[in-house]
Amino acid sequence: MAELEQGLNIESRRMELRGIVRLAGEVIAQYWPMRTFVHHNPLHSIEYLSFEEAVRRGKQFVGGNGYLPGHVYRKFLRTGRIQVTHLDDALKPLILDKSVLLGTHRITHGSVLRACLAEGLCSPVIEPLDDQLPDLSRHTIDNLAARLRPVTVFPDLSERISAMVSRDEAALGRWLTLSHWCDDTLGTQIVQQINDQLIKWCEAFLDEGHATWAMPERDKGLYAAWKALASHEWSVCDIPNSREKIAQLPDYPEDALLESLDAMGIPANLRQDYLSLQLTSLPGWAGFIKWRGEERDYPWQQAYPAGLVKFLAIRQWYARELVQKACQGHLGIQGRFDVVTDYMHGHAEEYYLRRQRVAGLLPALYAEEVDRLAHRRGAGWKAVLDRYKMDVVPRQETAKLRGAAKQLLSLIRFLEIDVGCLNECSVTDLKQLVDWMEAFPESEHGPVWLKALETSYQEHLLQKLRTRPNDPAHSSTNRPYSQSVYCIDVRSEPFRRHLESVGPHETYGFAGFFAAFIRYRAWGKEHDTEQFPVIMRAKNEVREIPRSYLDDTVLKHEVRARWVHAGHTLLHDLKENVVTPYVMVESLGWFYGFPIFGKTLIPALYHRLTAWFRKLSAPSLPTTLTVDKLAPGETAEMLDAEQQALVRKALQERLGLRSSMITPPLVEALRQRALGVDKDPQSSVVTQEAARARLTPEMVNELVETLQRQYDLNARAVSRHKERITRTGFTLEEQVLTVDTALHMMGLTKNFARLVFFCAHGSTSDNNPYESALDCGACGGNEGKPNARVLAMMANNLTVRERLKKTGIDIPTDTHFIAGQMNTTTDEVQLFDLEDVPPTHRADLARLQDDLKEASRLTSQERCGRFPEVQQALPERTAQAHVRKRSVDWSQVRPEWGLSNNTSFIIGRRELTKGLDLNGRVFLHSYDYREDPSNRLLEVLLTAPQVVAQWINMEHYFSAVDNEVYGSGSKIYHNVVGRFGVMSGPWSDLRLGLARQTVMNGDIPYHEPMRLLTIVEAPRKGIEKLITRHDVLQHYYHNQWVHLVVLDPHDGGWYRYQPNGEWTCIAPQVVEHVE
Amino acid sequence: MPWLLAAIPLAGAIVALTSWEDSERVKKFSMIGSIFSLVSVVGLAGFLTIPPNGCLSLYLLPLAALTSILSHPLGSDHRLSWIMTLVCLGFGIGALTALEFSGSFFLMMLLITLVILLYRHHTALWPISWWGVGLLILGLVGVGISMIADPPVSSIAALVTCALLLPLVPLHGGYLTTVTRLPGNLPSFVVVLLPVIGFQRLPQILSTVPEDVLVIVRTLALLGALYAAVKALAQSRVRLILSYGSLSFFSIAWWFAATSGFATPQGTLLVGAVGLATSGLLIAWQVIRTRYGDDVDPQAISGLAAAMPKFAVLLSLLGLAAMGIPPFGVFAGFMGLMLTSSQASVFGLFLTLAAWLAASWYIMQMVQQLLFGASRPELRYTDLLNPELISLAIVVVVLLALGLVPSALFAPEQPILEQAAHSRELFSWRN
Repeated sequence: MAELEQGLNIESRRMELRGIVRLAGEVIAQYWPMRTFVHHNPLHSIEYLSFEEAVRRGKQFVGGNGYLPGHVYRKFLRTGRIQVTHLDDALKPLILDKSVLLGTHRITHGSVLRACLAEGLCSPVIEPLDDQLPDLSRHTIDNLAARLRPVTVFPDLSERISAMVSRDEAALGRWLTLSHWCDDTLGTQIVQQINDQLIKWCEAFLDEGHATWAMPERDKGLYAAWKALASHEWSVCDIPNSREKIAQLPDYPEDALLESLDAMGIPANLRQDYLSLQLTSLPGWAGFIKWRGEERDYPWQQAYPAGLVKFLAIRQWYARELVQKACQGHLGIQGRFDVVTDYMHGHAEEYYLRRQRVAGLLPALYAEEVDRLAHRRGAGWKAVLDRYKMDVVPRQETAKLRGAAKQLLSLIRFLEIDVGCLNECSVTDLKQLVDWMEAFPESEHGPVWLKALETSYQEHLLQKLRTRPNDPAHSSTNRPYSQSVYCIDVRSEPFRRHLESVGPHETYGFAGFFAAFIRYRAWGKEHDTEQFPVIMRAKNEVREIPRSYLDDTVLKHEVRARWVHAGHTLLHDLKENVVTPYVMVESLGWFYGFPIFGKTLIPALYHRLTAWFRKLSAPSLPTTLTVDKLAPGETAEMLDAEQQALVRKALQERLGLRSSMITPPLVEALRQRALGVDKDPQSSVVTQEAARARLTPEMVNELVETLQRQYDLNARAVSRHKERITRTGFTLEEQVLTVDTALHMMGLTKNFARLVFFCAHGSTSDNNPYESALDCGACGGNEGKPNARVLAMMANNLTVRERLKKTGIDIPTDTHFIAGQMNTTTDEVQLFDLEDVPPTHRADLARLQDDLKEASRLTSQERCGRFPEVQQALPERTAQAHVRKRSVDWSQVRPEWGLSNNTSFIIGRRELTKGLDLNGRVFLHSYDYREDPSNRLLEVLLTAPQVVAQWINMEHYFSAVDNEVYGSGSKIYHNVVGRFGVMSGPWSDLRLGLARQTVMNGDIPYHEPMRLLTIVEAPRKGIEKLITRHDVLQHYYHNQWVHLVVLDPHDGGWYRYQPNGEWTCIAPQVVEHVE
Repeated sequence: MPWLLAAIPLAGAIVALTSWEDSERVKKFSMIGSIFSLVSVVGLAGFLTIPPNGCLSLYLLPLAALTSILSHPLGSDHRLSWIMTLVCLGFGIGALTALEFSGSFFLMMLLITLVILLYRHHTALWPISWWGVGLLILGLVGVGISMIADPPVSSIAALVTCALLLPLVPLHGGYLTTVTRLPGNLPSFVVVLLPVIGFQRLPQILSTVPEDVLVIVRTLALLGALYAAVKALAQSRVRLILSYGSLSFFSIAWWFAATSGFATPQGTLLVGAVGLATSGLLIAWQVIRTRYGDDVDPQAISGLAAAMPKFAVLLSLLGLAAMGIPPFGVFAGFMGLMLTSSQASVFGLFLTLAAWLAASWYIMQMVQQLLFGASRPELRYTDLLNPELISLAIVVVVLLALGLVPSALFAPEQPILEQAAHSRELFSWRN
């Protein structure tokens, strides 16, 4: 009974710990594998906090800045990107109704704050104890400092020490781990040591086929595999008896983690924060493990399970041992939370000096003295501190006064007041000015700057939108040449604008997955792609198959593809083998010179040549998609055929039978035996056919077992497979619903053109691990081509059209839907399934293709103007050649540069934005509120596409404001690791976010970091209800992650939704004021 | 002629002294004095008796004085050091160019000046070093004995003085004390001054001391090279790193000289280049001290590469020069010695190479610490001011020139044996 109780107790503790770890993991963002790069908000998990608070948490846990540095904002101010009036508006809530008289000049609190922002007066500069740089104002500064001295109060050193101890005690466990504490106090590098170890193990364990030699014992899981291997390591970070200690660790990671936490004495109430800090020490690797832990169906996770508990169990073991070693070695105390706290209180002077030493705040002489005392564990700390108090503290005070005097001098220079006026001002007033500046440090400037920057942009955009006539009742009844639907992506905006400019084409914006939630497998590929936003789940599967009339060609194609594949495999094996590279480099190495020179010197020509060769060796075939569901009979037939193919394969591979010996009855008999349909081992059919193939009964039995185990030919696997096949395609109802939803949401329900074009998007670039970041975010970081094809095929289905009539969508019989894809790096559009276009539409098609080409050229021309290396406007054809070259240039760090600089999301009719140059910065989603009286469609738009847009926006925002922490640093140092991420150099955390070159243009952000502005054309009442209904919307608007502006069609007014839930009317005069 | 050359900087010092109240004028006159001295040395070198190891030392002294004064920030506290730089320059030139008693007189005056300066100037950061002062006084006594005593006593006394100037373990304390404790810009000058005078006097001593003493010198030189390299690795203060680092290289020069029995132009090149490179690094450190205070902890400064790019480039080049990377003078001198020393033992060469390689460690570590790592946001970064930039650039260019220009330019082409004979003849008055 006692054992049972103990077991229950252990299990409940494990469960509790798992819960704590789950909560601790909230502060880190999931890390998706880069082959399906998903733009996301790195602080997504804490969107329930206000933006400012979340940014503070980000600073606390990962050390990332949430705003641009002050000097960049100041540059924006100087260049007019931020208007002074907007800065004043943003400052208003902080301004006090106070002023100081300086001679005849009255200096208000507001003007001081503005000076702080505009001049950087509050930069956190420590004045050196005696700087000797030449300064013409030295005399004035010294005088001012002398005047300020009597009114300036400096806290006593002992007060400062006790304040520091109290602060650090409060921070320990919440902001500081014991490892960090040791590093900050003892000058150790424990965090770095632990990170190095974790990087090593995670890199090996999580590898997805990149490594030539895989880590052994991975199937046991991360913790067990580490335990099995690390217990054989010769020396782990110089931890004594590390092998024995690791070998003796508990089998369960939960138990190991609990043991470590207990050993370090981490209080129960701090454990969540403590573990958060541990995770944020390596947010990249921890984020990827978090993602893997939540994706239970992910094949690599199924094969080699990893999770945050396992990760933390390993990490915490290192932390425990290294902290213990450091505390014992340096201080002679236990590396426990309570002991460390006692030390801080009991040896406050020593602690203060040690901290100052490590922080580099001690003069050299004292630094040496501290080193000496620390080395000898001497008892002279008090004496050193006394000397420090006598010698250094007064100098520090003088330096601080000089700093304040410099600030004052800069202030009056900014306010263009004569320096002599300082003498006419009382000392207390001078001190007041200094206090105002000190109370507004640069760390508090970010929110003000951001607000001013956002207002400057938003008012400009709203002014543009207001110039458009807003008459919902007026709509064109002329039938356009074509109607085309593009992804909401900001990169579609220039293309749509140009297409509309070259002819009477109508364009629409819609999330690029076109309401088709599909898991897709391209022909000849072994893996599926998930073609929908990552916040959704797939309902249906679609496969690409060759057209039925191509059976002979398919066989030939498959043979060629197999040869190509075999060639690739051979080359890979030769490269990666232990011995063969020595020979290979000599014999084949020269051939690599061709691609190197080709890609470097003549990238465009080289690309054309390789494309031609690829076409020659394995030409692409016309294909179609399995959009319709299979009938039960067809499913069974398909399954049978696949299983028979498997049996044939096994007979050839395992028994070496020639094709002529493999008869259909034998195959069928073996299939049935493997599936358990024929349970009689002495079945006459099997016996006869086996004998004919010269197989003994033992061989047959062995083969059947192999089929069941290794070829997955057993009842359970077949059932799974069957279930999967039944998910393939859509039922008629599903097709009707999909088309109906899509057309309604985009507002395309009447006046259909003869051609309706669904245009997905993808990209082409070379040597770019982030290639998928340029693909469609709504399609889970994949190309949207299959989704467009699926929707077009459904919409062309006559039965579907018949059903749609009942929902109020009457598609004319002469309307044909066509699918295509825009390459966002080259701006070229490719159309698919052209053989399904009726002959009657040839002329329409030709006209559309011509106009698409023209739009493509114009778009390229516009985009070229944004590239930093293109100094002057390029002619259309040159621009097109330029963007093509960029897309195949393997040295190009900005093959596209289209998604950066996004700022807004407009949900409304195209009439609102038609003809406006929005500079490719706006997500455009077509929506006609008149088609959605119940707000059902708007609800979807706000909770799905808006989320995707916000993720993209926030990814860019944080990558721009702190590229080293939230972004991935320079592309120059990137190394692909494990086929799922990148590291900087050979050894780093997995790099999060976007590369520096993606968001920055030199030292200035190319992507101006602003929070998303969502503009909706719909009645306010309905939007209010939606906000009340959805937490995500409340988080966005109330916590100021997203700004919401509404054009209310009832009164034609523009309203801003405030964080407190109220609407404020945006008066036209405000907009005019900006102009 | 030597008196004239020595008088020019001394006159400059007097002129500077007349403007004592105006520190800017003091600095200006000190620089003008250095420039005149440089011009006079270059112009009158042809009228001097060229020593066997060339005139390079003579050219380097006013140049080092000029760069050290130029780089120093304006301030009334520094006036004395500028004037004393000219005084030391005058005595130094005198010691280098004058023969017999005049030379010894100038040397004695120089040592007395240094002793007085060290006695009067000390700070909490660098308290007075009686050991160092004592050793300099020993050097003074050594000069006196060498003037009045007969061989071998005079030779031994001269050797001791020489070992104090061109530092040799265990008499390196005087050199270390001057480099670490002299005020203002003086350390970046004496780091060139003392070793070149010492090396200049070496030929006369090597030709007269008994072989047994030379064996001891060789041993001390090898041990000293390694000892100094290890000590440099263990230091945290920049001046000490540079003192020990240069000591290591000077010990190598000692070993080559003691092995071959004479001092060659290549040796002078090595000593001059090491001194100048160390002087450049001291000037670079002065740049840091100007911004962040005299007692700034070097470990507290990092990330200057991004914040002070001009400084970063010049410091990197100086670092490369100081650790003996081509094409700078230290490399040229070292390789020149290696290629011309046929009598050097393999073991000795191995140890000198080890000391040379160690320089790549401690100098690189110091440069890396300052230039890389995270910039501290609370520090104010100001890149090089024009005088600092010019001063450091001159040092780098001269070091480059020393590495590239043929050594024949500094010393006449003479076969080594001929040089040895010449040196014996030149100093035959001792025998």
